[in-house]
Amino acid sequence: MSEQVAQLLDSLRAKAEKGELLYIGENVVRVDSLEKVLGNPVYTADLIPKGTVYAKLFHSSIPHGIIKRMELGAARSYPGVLGVLTSKDIPGLNESSAVLLDRQLYADPVVRSTGDILGAVIAETFPGAADAAARIKVDYEKLPAIFDPVGALDAGAVKVHEKGNVARQMKIRKGNVVEGFSKSDFVLEKTYRTQFQDATPMEPEVGLAIPEDGGVRVIGSMQSPHHTQAAVAKVLKLPPEKVRVIQAVTGGAFGPKSDETPFDVCSTAALAAVRFRRPVYCGLDREDSMVMHTKRHPFVISHKTGVSKDGMLLADESRIVGDTGAYASLGVFVIVRATFHTVGAYEVPNVKADSFLVYTNNTYTGSLRGFGGPQAIFAFESQMEELARKLGMDPLEFRLKNMLVPGKKNATSAVMDASCGLPQCVEKVVTSSKYREKASRYKNQVGDVRRGLGMAFLMHGNSLGPEGNDYGAVHMEVLSDGSVSVGSGLTEYGTGAISGIMQVASSVLGVPLSRFRLERPDTSKHRESGPTVASRVVVIGGNASKLAAEKLRAKTIPIAAELLRVDPQVVAIADGVAFDRRNPSATVRWDDIVAEAYRRGVSLKEDGFFMAPAAPWDQEVGQGTPYLQYTWGALIVEVEVDMGTGFYRVVGAHAAYDVGKAVNPGGVLGQIYGGTVQGLGYAMMEELVHKDGVVVNPNLGDYYIPTSMDIPEDFKAFIVEVPGPLGPFGSKIIAEPPIVLPGAAVRNAVLNATGVSVDDLPVTSEKVLMGIKPGPAARPR
Amino acid sequence: MDGIEPPASGMKFFNSESLISFQTVVMSTVELYSPTDLNDALRFMEHDGRNVTVVASGTDLLPRMRRKQISPSILVDISSFKEDLRYIRQSDGTIRLGALTTVADLLESPMFHGRLSMIREAGKLFGAPQVRNVATIGGNICSASSSEDLIPVFMALDARLKLVSARGERSVPLKDFIVGKRATDMKPSEILAEVEFSLPGGHSWTAYEKLGRRNMLIIAIVNEALSLTLEEDLRTVRSAKVALNRVSGKIPALAARTNDFLEGKMVTEETIAQAQKVLASELSLTSDFRGSGAYRKEIAQVYLKRLLERCSWQIGGHS
Amino acid sequence: MNKRGITINVNGTEHPLQVDGSDRLIDVLRDQLSLKSVKEGCSTGDCGICAVLVDGKLVNSCLMLAAQCDGRRVTTLEGLLEDPTMKRMQGRFIANNAAQCGFCTPAMLIASWDLARHSTEPSNEEIKLAISGILCRCTGYYQIVDSVREGCEGGRR
Repeated sequence: MSEQVAQLLDSLRAKAEKGELLYIGENVVRVDSLEKVLGNPVYTADLIPKGTVYAKLFHSSIPHGIIKRMELGAARSYPGVLGVLTSKDIPGLNESSAVLLDRQLYADPVVRSTGDILGAVIAETFPGAADAAARIKVDYEKLPAIFDPVGALDAGAVKVHEKGNVARQMKIRKGNVVEGFSKSDFVLEKTYRTQFQDATPMEPEVGLAIPEDGGVRVIGSMQSPHHTQAAVAKVLKLPPEKVRVIQAVTGGAFGPKSDETPFDVCSTAALAAVRFRRPVYCGLDREDSMVMHTKRHPFVISHKTGVSKDGMLLADESRIVGDTGAYASLGVFVIVRATFHTVGAYEVPNVKADSFLVYTNNTYTGSLRGFGGPQAIFAFESQMEELARKLGMDPLEFRLKNMLVPGKKNATSAVMDASCGLPQCVEKVVTSSKYREKASRYKNQVGDVRRGLGMAFLMHGNSLGPEGNDYGAVHMEVLSDGSVSVGSGLTEYGTGAISGIMQVASSVLGVPLSRFRLERPDTSKHRESGPTVASRVVVIGGNASKLAAEKLRAKTIPIAAELLRVDPQVVAIADGVAFDRRNPSATVRWDDIVAEAYRRGVSLKEDGFFMAPAAPWDQEVGQGTPYLQYTWGALIVEVEVDMGTGFYRVVGAHAAYDVGKAVNPGGVLGQIYGGTVQGLGYAMMEELVHKDGVVVNPNLGDYYIPTSMDIPEDFKAFIVEVPGPLGPFGSKIIAEPPIVLPGAAVRNAVLNATGVSVDDLPVTSEKVLMGIKPGPAARPR
Repeated sequence: MDGIEPPASGMKFFNSESLISFQTVVMSTVELYSPTDLNDALRFMEHDGRNVTVVASGTDLLPRMRRKQISPSILVDISSFKEDLRYIRQSDGTIRLGALTTVADLLESPMFHGRLSMIREAGKLFGAPQVRNVATIGGNICSASSSEDLIPVFMALDARLKLVSARGERSVPLKDFIVGKRATDMKPSEILAEVEFSLPGGHSWTAYEKLGRRNMLIIAIVNEALSLTLEEDLRTVRSAKVALNRVSGKIPALAARTNDFLEGKMVTEETIAQAQKVLASELSLTSDFRGSGAYRKEIAQVYLKRLLERCSWQIGGHS
Repeated sequence: MNKRGITINVNGTEHPLQVDGSDRLIDVLRDQLSLKSVKEGCSTGDCGICAVLVDGKLVNSCLMLAAQCDGRRVTTLEGLLEDPTMKRMQGRFIANNAAQCGFCTPAMLIASWDLARHSTEPSNEEIKLAISGILCRCTGYYQIVDSVREGCEGGRR
């Protein structure tokens, strides 16, 4: 036997030994990379057929009022206009609401924010529709408006909704904080504030509707096709089967595309399509998107924390107020996550939290990557830093003393088990950043340029947890040419997660990912799988994919065994060939197995369905196990501050995340880099500004996200793998966690460099300078 | 420009077929005229009474139209006759830049090193690569706002502008040209053709500072330019020209009182500190979401010190 | 509404076109010439997603009126698909996971290809500068920078 053949056989044996883990942990090329680098026309705007007309949504110009009269005549008669849709044109329900049913599609008669949509102009061209929309005149009876969520809690405050301004409340009652404070040597009370962040996916929200067959086909950029289908069907008063929704390749999402904006856009397009019997494209330009879609909730979080003089956390009491703007959207779940994470990655024996999701007349807020985590962790990690200073303890030592490790209990009294990889994450970043050496070196700096290190630790509850049943379905079919077609209601929008779950199937089946085809999520073909949020695809969808692949393997292995004339127990399939794992010299190709299956009439079509076990918790006291597993992480950043201007750069970032098992390490790193940079934007420069309810900077020239010149020149990212109980092969979620930590890490680094505590995000150079040189001018809030 | 006779009234001097209609997202219908050369453009602008706006690269104009901040009814596209208006020339200590010179042209030219470094420094922080490739110095100046980075630079150089019309030409100092927020002394029939300044002589250096909220694609919170000339003793100020994106309100201007104060003084820590105080008293700055007036004032003073120190250090080193 | 006849050389082919005053270069490329790789991200010239090469220079196509491109040479990603440098660059993007949602990818590739023409050994700083006018929200830029560096270095042979 030649050297080459021997090596080949050895290699096959080794692959057989890996079993299901064959391709897990490999940087396999994503299934959807090629179409992106070729610039293929796969996004919604690329699919517009001839004869399509355009919809331009128009919105309220005041933050609170009652519509008295809308003058549509000038718009209707504008050249090229087919019509103007308002609430009167809705055959079904005037509703566009994710959870609480507190929001209409077209506001009538009450408007509660300047983002409220009043209707849509449908015209032959988009510029024509926009020009016509500019000619609409609305008379309002103006009502007083409220923009401060804390003020909105007062008894006499302006009511945004009839039922009052509190959309949801939550509590945690763990132990006895009164007792805890009485035992404390120091008690620190501080309030922290965060800002409106815009998700800024590079592709704004768009939808295309084509009338067909007594119904409508909708193609769009979205995270949840089935939810969109339900919303559109309700508006059009059609049975859901008559509304077919297909998710096109989506250019980034980050949350708002799982909220109501896709409903708005798709319902409008569908309404117009059915009405005018033409394809209709409803695409938001950037300004409309930034005004109308959901933002990240600004939070006001007050902590009162008690510690012993040797640095043990004894009690924490927090009041958490989230501004959900005019409508709740998915804020009802954001407040839950924020509350459960109120003391972050630390054990605090006595915890009391009261949280409020509050309506105001600002534009509304909802789902955005991190989902309450960034706000909660910013507040508590800042508090940890302040406590360390008060105690005269090194911030790292203080955190190490209190952090969650196996055996300790978090805020909901869930006991951390062996799958808690936080210590490993911390060790990695402390070493990489040379924290101990630098922290001591940076202690007594003088001069115009100073450096500082700041850190934050992460506990991030996985998946939907307390938000409801967490399930997903994946459909898999091996086609006659041997390719494997995979379809699901779970969506891909950049994270690579869908390719990840296909990689799981590829690994189980022993067929390279290059043989796999992804079907566009299609409500007419794929089962409802919940929203693609909470980074749940790899954990929930991955399990469903694994199940489907296992069912298929149970069919392919016996056929391979017959063709090889060996016992099925000894058959392995790897790299698209089947062989006897003891003696790989005889092989059978995957294509031949498939052909044989087809000849015999064996169906190679299987569905996998996975539902996570219930996550029980007591709503009254916020105790129990609302999450079945956690992702852990640590971030240390180093900043360099110009003491004369307050301008600073993040010169180094060291991040480690325990992801259980990295299905595709390159993909995981992509999420760590991307999420951290988006988090740095949140920490340093991003702020969507409202003035009297009007968004002042709804464009990318006035709203700043990081450019390539703003990223830390030195970024070391580490993958830690401590398997968890829930995901396939022990995997945990990764898409959201990296955005959570930079807010506090940067804030703490700036504090250590300059001595300035900035307690409200973003940490701008102005706030830093005004802390360094407090002058006669008041610090802007 | 010689030899253009104003035509008899009522005669049309433009080819009506080259007028095309322009729909935008603003209320009025805009028409676009693309003249074949400068004379053609000037004749058109002389005799069409409507609201005419000149467009070169469009990098400032189109976004503002898109955001409904302005609604011109007719646009004259002057980007098509670059041969006339895009050049960088030096003769006898005078630098002449055609108004259609792009920011990229400035960066690629070997001329703006050494004592004219300020121009490169400003160019590098201007917008982003794609914008630098097409944005013109003329467009920057005529937009006349505090977000136009090159205005303080050319003000510090005491630049003069050549404005041309069908009736002839005139020269205006840049500092007199900007009369208010986004307001210039330009007549409706004029086009900016050239920017000219004298090469700072003797012991001179120029420098620039810009602060924004991130490192690229920023509208300045503060930008500040200095052209410094010292006497033979290399310590006494012969002339100092400091200009900022905002001095009073939102108008780019020279810091006249500060410049007067510095003239004749020695560059010492003490005079710099005093100059900072004069600057503070001269600045009257408003707040907006990018930064408060107090912060801008503080930065302006910090930059003044850095610019003076940098320039005097360079002059010392290069003499 | 009057239309004007212009000619633009796009990806090597002369195209006679009828344009409105309001047509921007991006509208002509996407709608009349079906070159969908050119994307619209912000409409105000602040994101660079629409970037193409005009007479060899990187330009935001959403800020250029089509009429201003009369007689010019425009290059989009579609026109570079057979180019060996571009193929190498695309290969690196794929290998390094530099395309996540893919919306900024065509603009990033064009800017990278432009850089590769001028440099086979760009530093990370030079690469970041070359793409500094193109916003990416997904990747954090790191895997893009690595891809561009490898794509340029491959041209040394």
